[in-house]
This record gives sequence, structure tokens and C-alpha cells, in this order.
Amino acid sequence: MIALYVMLFAALNYWQVNRTEELATEPGNTRALIRQFDTPRGPIVTADGVVAALSVQAPGDSDVKFERIYPTGDLFAHVTGYYTFGLGATQLEKTKSGVLTGDTFTQRIRAIEKILSRNNDNSGSLHLTLRDDMQKVAKFLLGPREGSIVLMEIETGAVISMWSYPSYDPNLVAAPDYNAAFDYVTELQADERDPLLANAYQQRYMPGSTFKVLTTGAALDLGVISLDSFWEDEREYVPPQTTDPIMNYAGSVCGGDLTEVFRRSCNTPFARIGQDLGPDQFQEGIFRWGVEQEIPLDLPGAAASTIGNFADIGQNLPLLSMRAFGQNDDQMVPIHMAMVAATVANDGEMMKPFVVDAELDHGGRIINRTQPAVWKRPISRKTAGILKDLMVGVAESGTASCCIALEGGIPVAAKTGTAQLNDTGEPERSHAWIIAFAPVEQPKYAVAVMLKGTDAEISAGTGGRLAGPIAKAMLDAMFKIDPPLLPAAPQGVTP
Amino acid sequence: MAVEAMPVSPRIVARRRTTELALIVMVAAIVGVAYTLASLGANAEIPARIGPFLGLLLLLIGGAHVTVRKLAGGADSTLLPLAVLLHGLGYVMITRLDDDLAGLQSLWSLVAIAAFAATLLFVQRANDLARYKWILFFVGAGLLLLPMVPGLGVNVNGARIWVSVGPLNFQPGEFAKLALAIFFAAYLAERRELIAASTWKVGPFRLPELQYIAPVLVGWVFAVMVMVGERDLGSSLLFFTLFVVMMWVATERVSYLVIGFVLFGLAAFASARLFDHVQTRVDIWLNPWADEYGKGFQIVQALYGLGDGGIVGTGLGRGSPDKVPEAQNDFIFAAIGEEMGLIGATAVLMAYLLLIGAGLRVALRTDRTFEKLLAVGLTTIVGIQAFIIIGGVIKVVPLTGITLPFVSYGGSSLLSSYILLAILLRLSDAGARRLGELPDDPTPRERWAAWQLRRRSHEVVA
Repeated sequence: MIALYVMLFAALNYWQVNRTEELATEPGNTRALIRQFDTPRGPIVTADGVVAALSVQAPGDSDVKFERIYPTGDLFAHVTGYYTFGLGATQLEKTKSGVLTGDTFTQRIRAIEKILSRNNDNSGSLHLTLRDDMQKVAKFLLGPREGSIVLMEIETGAVISMWSYPSYDPNLVAAPDYNAAFDYVTELQADERDPLLANAYQQRYMPGSTFKVLTTGAALDLGVISLDSFWEDEREYVPPQTTDPIMNYAGSVCGGDLTEVFRRSCNTPFARIGQDLGPDQFQEGIFRWGVEQEIPLDLPGAAASTIGNFADIGQNLPLLSMRAFGQNDDQMVPIHMAMVAATVANDGEMMKPFVVDAELDHGGRIINRTQPAVWKRPISRKTAGILKDLMVGVAESGTASCCIALEGGIPVAAKTGTAQLNDTGEPERSHAWIIAFAPVEQPKYAVAVMLKGTDAEISAGTGGRLAGPIAKAMLDAMFKIDPPLLPAAPQGVTP
Repeated sequence: MAVEAMPVSPRIVARRRTTELALIVMVAAIVGVAYTLASLGANAEIPARIGPFLGLLLLLIGGAHVTVRKLAGGADSTLLPLAVLLHGLGYVMITRLDDDLAGLQSLWSLVAIAAFAATLLFVQRANDLARYKWILFFVGAGLLLLPMVPGLGVNVNGARIWVSVGPLNFQPGEFAKLALAIFFAAYLAERRELIAASTWKVGPFRLPELQYIAPVLVGWVFAVMVMVGERDLGSSLLFFTLFVVMMWVATERVSYLVIGFVLFGLAAFASARLFDHVQTRVDIWLNPWADEYGKGFQIVQALYGLGDGGIVGTGLGRGSPDKVPEAQNDFIFAAIGEEMGLIGATAVLMAYLLLIGAGLRVALRTDRTFEKLLAVGLTTIVGIQAFIIIGGVIKVVPLTGITLPFVSYGGSSLLSSYILLAILLRLSDAGARRLGELPDDPTPRERWAAWQLRRRSHEVVA
């Protein structure tokens, strides 16, 4: 009898001590998950007070006490992510799970007094910098076109709106019916447009002429060009090591001083600037903008912009020219372009972008508020000033002049881009870009709009014509909510 | 006259009951704390019914203690506290799993303690039981076969061990095992010499005359019938072990143990081959993960629970033992292991071991063969039944659906367990009285008989 019980004891030890790890990692073992799901989980709230994610009591027959729902549907899917029973968690639901369930050190310390009270709900909440109203405007403006819109506050780096199409509905992923949820996710994963990934910060696209802001900034800072630089009119430029010429957009004749070639977005002068900088200085200048580094956004899986492989660039100098005006292997993350515009507006300081404004405990006390921080100083204040003027030129009389002028005459600065994806002779395919900020003096908001060149309509247009009106509408909407302190300040007036 | 000559040491007896009282108070404290913790863990609040609960708890165990003090003053002091501890922990787990069942379980607890007291009251001389052995045999056999009667038996979860008479549902097997244990103890006590005297040999084994060994064969046939007819592997294994162990103790011949288990092994092997549900049980035992969401679900979930509990457990009320179907019945040990961890589960194992130890001590302290055999038999029932189900839950032996004595939810199980405990205490008390540890006062019935006798003799004289 004793032997039998010793056997039981041994077996008990085997399961409860030796094999706990293996048992815990068995896919059918949902106990740890249930434990998480049985604890209340706080909401994620937008800057304008709309709840983007919250937990509700699950129906009585459910395995768990709570269900996670997303009242805003697909609007903030790429920010909140989802929190599911069978399919894991993503984005803020994953990275901020501790705050939401009240598991952080601060929250636990603060909850000690409640240890014997009836209420064991210690869940925290997240307040976003994103605004529900602006997100809705962005969603409306982009419509069924693939692309993204990012609107951010210049001084802080706070992201006000960040919409990517296609998106997905996290409610369907978090649905209690696991099989339906699994089918939905499988479908999303099979979708070539990658709805699970945010175009705005998890993908990168050829930037076209918007990249000239980076090249110009680098060249100005390194003293390769100045406002006085001048380029003769030309239709094409043949870079070293090749006979293939680089053409201006639509084969036009282009030239003039820096303001002029920037305003008209000529390609050939920038192709020359690339050669003037040379591979090393070009890389150095561009890397100062944070290219080749993951965007320091407070969301997981942010992508890094790139200017391609530079190992054999010495034997491939034509590529250097093309990359200097945003073609070839250049690829920018859309939010990075918004940051570029903001840097120009912010006297050369590139702020870290963020979407979480504050983490709050159950009583609404702030645990952690995001402090704006400078990520990079890519260009000098002086260079930033020059670039600002150049971008004002683009908005007033350049490639964006058609479409960017804001309501109420708020001065605006912009740069357009039309990234040509097709080789010569193939059907036209291009991404349409615009970056802009306003007001010009005391700038508040920067915006980057990118439309993916997936159909003939987008590909036939230019960044200014297609993306420009969207950027304008975003800024107009934003200034309705937050009017600039000095509406259309008359220029040259001194107190 | 003889009574006066006996060495009386009432202090030993008084100490024994004081020890029992102290142990019982400790058990009450443990159970009360566990009950509160379970509620705190699950709902973060002091249970609303803590007052009534503690009242009922103290009433029940106090009543049981007073009954023992009055009716079996010389009995072992650890048996009752151990049983109450197991019962209390079981109750806490049941409350934590299902509030409705807990209400029923407290009703059953009342009934069980009442039956415990009644048994001690009515069975004041252990030998009384021996006198009714044939009645008990037929009652036991009848009860065992009752579920197979069409119209009465009910299939629950594949096993046909329930009987439904009107509004009353019960598992007759729980009581049959008691009746049969008493019958076997009495039968073997009478015929041990005849059975032990082997007269013919088969190979290396010396066997007794067929007519004396017949009850063993009957036992074997019964076990097989139960196994086949009621699909109840656990009970048949329990019965058979009971018979074989008692034969072995009665005859002091190991060959009975060997023969018995060989026979059972053959029957089990054959039934595994012949009957699908037995084969399925074995397959699940060997690899429950092969059908993780089907037939193996219960045991796989139980193992997850145990693993999740680890050494110290998740804490009462903080695990998810409700993931295991029937957690309040057969799988209550998994719930204990999950929420109280290796430590709590080991404590339960230790409680059973101590219970077994105390039961065997009862057998050792008595010099009457019937009492010795009965004590061994009853101890075997508790020990083996707990082993079979705990072993099934933690994948040591194939899973068979029987209850964990004192711990599992269920009226039949609790009732029969407490009756068993009462008989053990009676045996222990009888042993103590015979050893002269306290006066062997005549029972009321004996006084009544003596009075009648005296009156009759007076009448004769008159």
C-alpha cells in the first residue's frame, strides 16, 4: 500500500515539477490564457475620448469572463492590434498588456491598499495621441485606395492620425468563435495587400521626388550646394559610367537656381547633386535623417527606410544619381516622410513619433506620460530655414500649387513626389506622394500622404494632383479643430 | 465481577479524546481558512456565508466528536480528524467549482454525519455485524447487480452504476462494498483454517478444497460481471482487490494474492480485447494526447491543471479546474493539485496514508479474527479506492470512474465513507476495550438482555 502511494507521489512530482514547462507549452493548454482573460482589461481611448478597445462581460457560457471588443472597427486596428484567446495579441494590446491588466510595478504597488476590498479590478488604460475624428477624416479621404495618411504634431512628434488602407476589423479576429476568427486571419494573411500590416509604418515605398528634401538638406549641410547654385536648362543628364540619360518628369526641359529646380522638381539637377556629393557623403547625409534605422515609434514592428545597397555603388554611379532624387532602390516608410516634413518645420530637429500619450491606472492617475524627445538632428537650423522656403515655393507656385492651398489662407509648405515604378517602355506605374506642413511660421502639423501605384488612375497622376488635395483636406480639418494662433499672419509685420 | 478486576486507566482514554478534539479544531481552522481563501481568490471577497459555513462545520464535526466520545470512547484519535480534513478540503473544492452542488453537498454532509452517528449507535458490538453476514452477502450482491436491472439502472457517462428509484438516485456499489467486506470478514473468520489447509496442488500452488475456495471464485465472477455489465472497471478492480487481500490476510498465504491478481489480469486482458470501451480506456491511458479534444480531454486537462499548479499551486480560487469535466467527482484530485499544488496534493496523499495506517493499527490491536479481517478490509477499500482514482487522474493507471472517498462530490460516496469510518472506529474502540484501556461496560442492549434474563430467573425463582 505504501509502495502504491509512493508511486502516486512520484507521479505527482513528475507532473507538477518535472513536466510543468512541457505541459504549459502544449497548444491545447489554455490555462495561462484563461488566467489573462479572467482579469479585467482596461480600455484604449483616443485623444478625443473615443474608446477604441474595451473589455465587456462575456456571455455566461463562455470559458472566460471577458471579451475584447473594438467599437471603432478597423479605424485603429493597426495601432491597438488585437487581443485574442486563440490567436495571440498584437501591437498595443501586446506591448501594453501589463498596463491594461494592471500588472505593472507601479500599479501593483498602488493596488496594495485594495488587496482586501471587494473590487479586485486593477486594470489600467491607455490614452492615445490619435484622434478619432481625424482618423475618420483620413479614412474618408483615402477611400478605397491603397496607401496611407499620417498627420503629426510637429513640436512633439505626437501622431494625430495614422490611417492605412487596407486595414482589418479586430473584432472579427477577437471573435469568440475561434474557427471563424482563424478563417478571417488566414484570409488576411493570404491577401496580397497585407491588411494586417500598416502601410503607414510597417511598409516602405519608393518616395520619388519627396526624397529631394533629404538630398537637398544633406547637400546644403555639407556645403555642396547653396541657394546660389545654378543649373543650366537641360532635357536629360548622362551620369558617369553609362550612356543611358536621366530624364526630367515627362521629358521636360528643366533648370534654374535651387528655388526654381526644387519648385519645379527637376530631376537632372538632383542627379548631378548626387554625383557632386559622391557615395560616401550622400550616404552620410541621408543617414542623418534616420534612413536605415527602424522608426522609433512606440508600436512594434515599425519598418526602416532605405537607400539600397551601396557596396558596389562606385561601379554603379548612375544608381547614385537616381537615388538622389528618390528612385531606384530608395524606399521610405510613410510616417518617416511625415517626420521629414516635421523636421524641416521644426528647425532641423526630428522628434520621436509616438501614439501613446499616457498610461493611466485604474483610478485614472497617470502612471507614465510620453515625453517628447528628439530622435535626430539631420540638418542645421539654417538648412531647415532654406528648405522651408523651398517647400513654400512648391506649395505656392510649384508642383503642389494646384491643390495644397489651405482654407483661410493659412500658409503651407509642401513637396510632392511621383515615384516611377515602371522601367522605360512599360505601362506607367507610380506612387503618388505629398508631404506638407502648416502654418509656415510657428508650424503645428505635418502630413504625409502616399497613394500606392496600384491602378492606372493613380499611376497617371502626379503626387501634387492626387495626394495634394488629401493633404490639404487633412490640414484644413485639423485647423478647424485646432485653429492656428495667428490666422494668416500678415508677412513682414513687426510689433 | 470480572469488570471490576480489569485494569482501568481512564486518563489514557480521556487523552485520546482530547487529542481528537485538538486535531478536529485544527482541521476546522484549516478548512475554514481554505474556504475563505477560495472565496478571496475567486471573487476577492470574504465569503458571505462564512458564518453559516463555520457553524455547520463546527456542528458537524462537533457532533461527530461527541458521538465518538459517548459511543466509542476508546477509539483511535486520528481517524475522525483525517476523514474530516479530507471531507472539508473536498467541500471547499466543490464550493469553488459549483455553488449549487456545494449546497447539496452540505446536505449530504449532514446526512452522512447522521449516518455515522447512527452506525456507532446501532453497532455497539462489532460481532453483531458478523451475525448478519449472509443477509449482508445477499444485500451486497443484490446492490451490486441492481444497476443491471432494466428500468432501475441508469447509464451515466458510459458506466451503468447508478440506480434510479423514483426521485432517489444512488450508486448501490458504494454500499455493496461495505456489505461484502463485512460478509467476507465474517465468512473467512469462520472458515480460515479450512481454506488455509490446502489439500490439492496445481503446479507450485497448493489449493484448498473447492467448496471452501468457492467464495473467491464467486468474487471473481462478480468482479467480471460488474466489469462487463456495468462498464465499471474501477469498482470491479476495487472489489476484487478487497476479496483477494482479505483472503490473503485470513489464510496468510501469498499464493492467494498471486492467483487472485493473475485471474483478474486475465479477465482484464480478455475484456480489453473483447470490449471497446475497455480498450479505449487503455489507449487513453497510454497516450491521452492522441485524442486530446475527445476522449482524452478530461485527463489531458487534468494534467495541464496539475502542471499549472506546480509546487505551490495557483492558489485556491485562482486556477481553472473547471476546465476539467466532472472536476467535482472523479477529478477532484486534479482540482486540488492545481490550486493547492504539489504540497496540497501531497498532504491529501499523506492523509490517506495516515488513514490507512490508523486502519491497519486497528487490525493489529485486536485479537479477534473477524475484527482483524474487517479492519483490513475497510482500510483496503479506502486505500485502494483512493489509489485507483488518484492514479487514474495522474495517469499512473488507466482511468476508471470511481469517487475519491470523503473528498468527491456525491451522497452515496460520502454516506458509505462515513459508515465505513464509523465501523472502523467501532472496531478500534472494541480493541481498546478488550485491551482494558477502558471499562468494557455492557451496552444498553446487553443491559436490557441481562435485565430480562434476571427477571426471568427471578420469575423462575419466584
